Amino acid sequence: MKIALTGNPNSGKTTLFNALTGKIEKVGNWAGVTIDKKEGAIKKSLNKTSQTMIAVDLPGAYSMSPFTSEETITNEFVNNESPNVLINIVDATNLSRSLFFTTQLLELGIPVVVALNKSDLNIKKKTIIDIQKLADELKCPVVETVSTGGSNNGLKKLIKEVGLVSESKQEAPFKPLNINMEDKESVKESDIRRYEFVNSIVAKVEIKKVRANIQTKQDMFDRILAHKWLGIPIFAAVMWMVFSLSQTYIGPLIADVLVGWIDGFYDLVEGLMGDNVSPLLSALLLDGIIGGVGALVGFLPLIMVLFFLLALLEDCGYMARVAVITDRFFKRVGLSGKSIIPMVIGLGCAIPGVMATRTIKNERQRRTTAMLTPFMPCGAKLPVVALFAGVFFNNAAWVGTMMYFLAIGIILLGAAIIVRITGEKNSRSYFIMELPEYRFPSIKRAAISMLSRAKAFIIKAGTIILLCNAIIHIMQTFNWRFEVVAENAANTSILASIASPFAILMLPLGFGVWQLAAATITGFIAKENVVGTLAVVYGITNFIDTEELVLINGATNVAGVMGLTSIAALSYLMFNLFSPPCFAAIGAMNAEMESGKWLLAGVGFQLGMGYVVAFITYQVGTLITTGVIGSGFIPGLIAVTVMIGYVLYLIKKGDIKAKTKKVIRTS
Amino acid sequence: MDVIMNNEYMLNTFNNTNNPKNLITNLSQAEINKEYKIKDIQTDDEELKDFLFTLGCYKGEAITIISVLVDNYVITVKDARYSIDNDLAEAIIIN
Repeated sequence: MKIALTGNPNSGKTTLFNALTGKIEKVGNWAGVTIDKKEGAIKKSLNKTSQTMIAVDLPGAYSMSPFTSEETITNEFVNNESPNVLINIVDATNLSRSLFFTTQLLELGIPVVVALNKSDLNIKKKTIIDIQKLADELKCPVVETVSTGGSNNGLKKLIKEVGLVSESKQEAPFKPLNINMEDKESVKESDIRRYEFVNSIVAKVEIKKVRANIQTKQDMFDRILAHKWLGIPIFAAVMWMVFSLSQTYIGPLIADVLVGWIDGFYDLVEGLMGDNVSPLLSALLLDGIIGGVGALVGFLPLIMVLFFLLALLEDCGYMARVAVITDRFFKRVGLSGKSIIPMVIGLGCAIPGVMATRTIKNERQRRTTAMLTPFMPCGAKLPVVALFAGVFFNNAAWVGTMMYFLAIGIILLGAAIIVRITGEKNSRSYFIMELPEYRFPSIKRAAISMLSRAKAFIIKAGTIILLCNAIIHIMQTFNWRFEVVAENAANTSILASIASPFAILMLPLGFGVWQLAAATITGFIAKENVVGTLAVVYGITNFIDTEELVLINGATNVAGVMGLTSIAALSYLMFNLFSPPCFAAIGAMNAEMESGKWLLAGVGFQLGMGYVVAFITYQVGTLITTGVIGSGFIPGLIAVTVMIGYVLYLIKKGDIKAKTKKVIRTS
Repeated sequence: MDVIMNNEYMLNTFNNTNNPKNLITNLSQAEINKEYKIKDIQTDDEELKDFLFTLGCYKGEAITIISVLVDNYVITVKDARYSIDNDLAEAIIIN
């Protein structure tokens, strides 16, 4: 039996889905978190019938007329896959809007059970809903639920009702009269009558002590958190707290323990192998695999704490306010405040960040945001930043901080360029965002979200990254004739010969050596690879001490082995941060942009941006510190001039286009 | 150029103050905490109109401004709060 969960955005569908199935899908307190349908079997403890029930979580829809991708999925699912029962999750705090959709669902001829969710919030607001009367009016069962609640959450009763109605026929309470579906005016008229009908039901079943349009404590919070001048400093302080907790305080504390385990494991394996194992195998196992992966696992707690805190932020309802306060800045560069949500999520991982762009209705804004979100340094890039800050900059805090500010600058610049190229600089776009009620974030949900991230990270470290490190190790140990390369002839290895052509291209950026080029290339598979590969190719696994996130005794050694100046190191760091993301994130960009042209332009733009930023950093930095320009200045300058020239040409073309059209669109 | 624009602006303000009946035409001129009725949604953007309709924001419905934040307005339609920008507030005609 198939049960579809439907309802307005942010009515609590996914939370209910997780409670029903025991799954851990992502939830957040703003409209439009779920963007794809998800399936899961209903827990045995809830399902007392003999047959299995499959619940399908659908994205939120305000009504059945399709105009965005979320609603289209709902429509297609209901119409094509004919589920046996629909559970309509109704936000009890906003009956009059939610029931509009309910009456439409009741016309589909599929049995409906209404889950009156968030009923706990109604108790707080002293709103009383007559459940029995509502069920009579709608001619379908209504069950009160608290999907965030513990044992007494109404879910058992809900599933029992689902079992009871599955074979029955329900009569639609509202029947549109002689309506012509082809004629927009006719549909609209009918919809107005539908609203009138809904209002009449609400008037009968709901007693409200507190009217919706009077000021509440929530509005007071809004006035502070989204204040014209206080809003941005508060947001900055919140983000600073997220980072200092995850990167400086709690994260490293847990990292200590993990690194201890890895060190122990390294010693254990070393001891077990003894001296009889071939040095080649022992090097592969110890430095290639344990070292490479171990260098990374030490960062896991930092990333986990970051995810935990971001989940708390998403859960409490603050994100919608952040969209409001940043709207005026994004508007200047042709985006809207909604673009900030993908970017904040992108601090954890670019993939869910890019996927979150789906709530942006305006196509250009959505594509632009998907293109720019990966510039936000994600959790996987943190180890690279920490490594370089440790090796080359005496672990200075400004390195990390600068990267985030630079990322914001690049995003704004990128958006300003793209809006000009598309010729939409004059287009108006409206901003409307539902402000969900604040709530105390759930520690349990945040912990679940964190653990699922950690699991994904460990799996990745244990599979792709482990494999990459092993391959990199083998490729640099052997030459093309599969002979072990000599001590002093490392540049004859397979890896060196593959990476060398790329290294030439990077000469003007200050790091034209094959080892760094190889690390950049493996970085496209997963950004965590950069540190692992560097550790393997330079044989510096013993120096990378993740315990304190610095290289206690090896810092100068590592810098020496790498043979880079600080400026070149900074340039390399920036190139890794601001060039295209990993393949998985590029895949997500492809899915959200829905255009091969945009994807190509996006990746090209990211590559060009990384190159230009690294070039300027290296050449200007070298000029300032040494008085002479860096290596490969002239060819690099030509390349950068061509890139910038091409962008300027596109902007000019876009400006001409902008003159000939004036578009108004919704954001 | 600037002078001319300023003059035009002053002229408009002058006209408005002289004609109190026309003072409040759209939501951006509305008072906080006062309930208005929506008269029309004035935009060429049909998609926006449809979207607002599904939120319950259409002719005849009540709308109240709760507060003005940054350059945005917090409004309440039906039982939900929304943040809208100035452009959208100007498109919502009230009486």
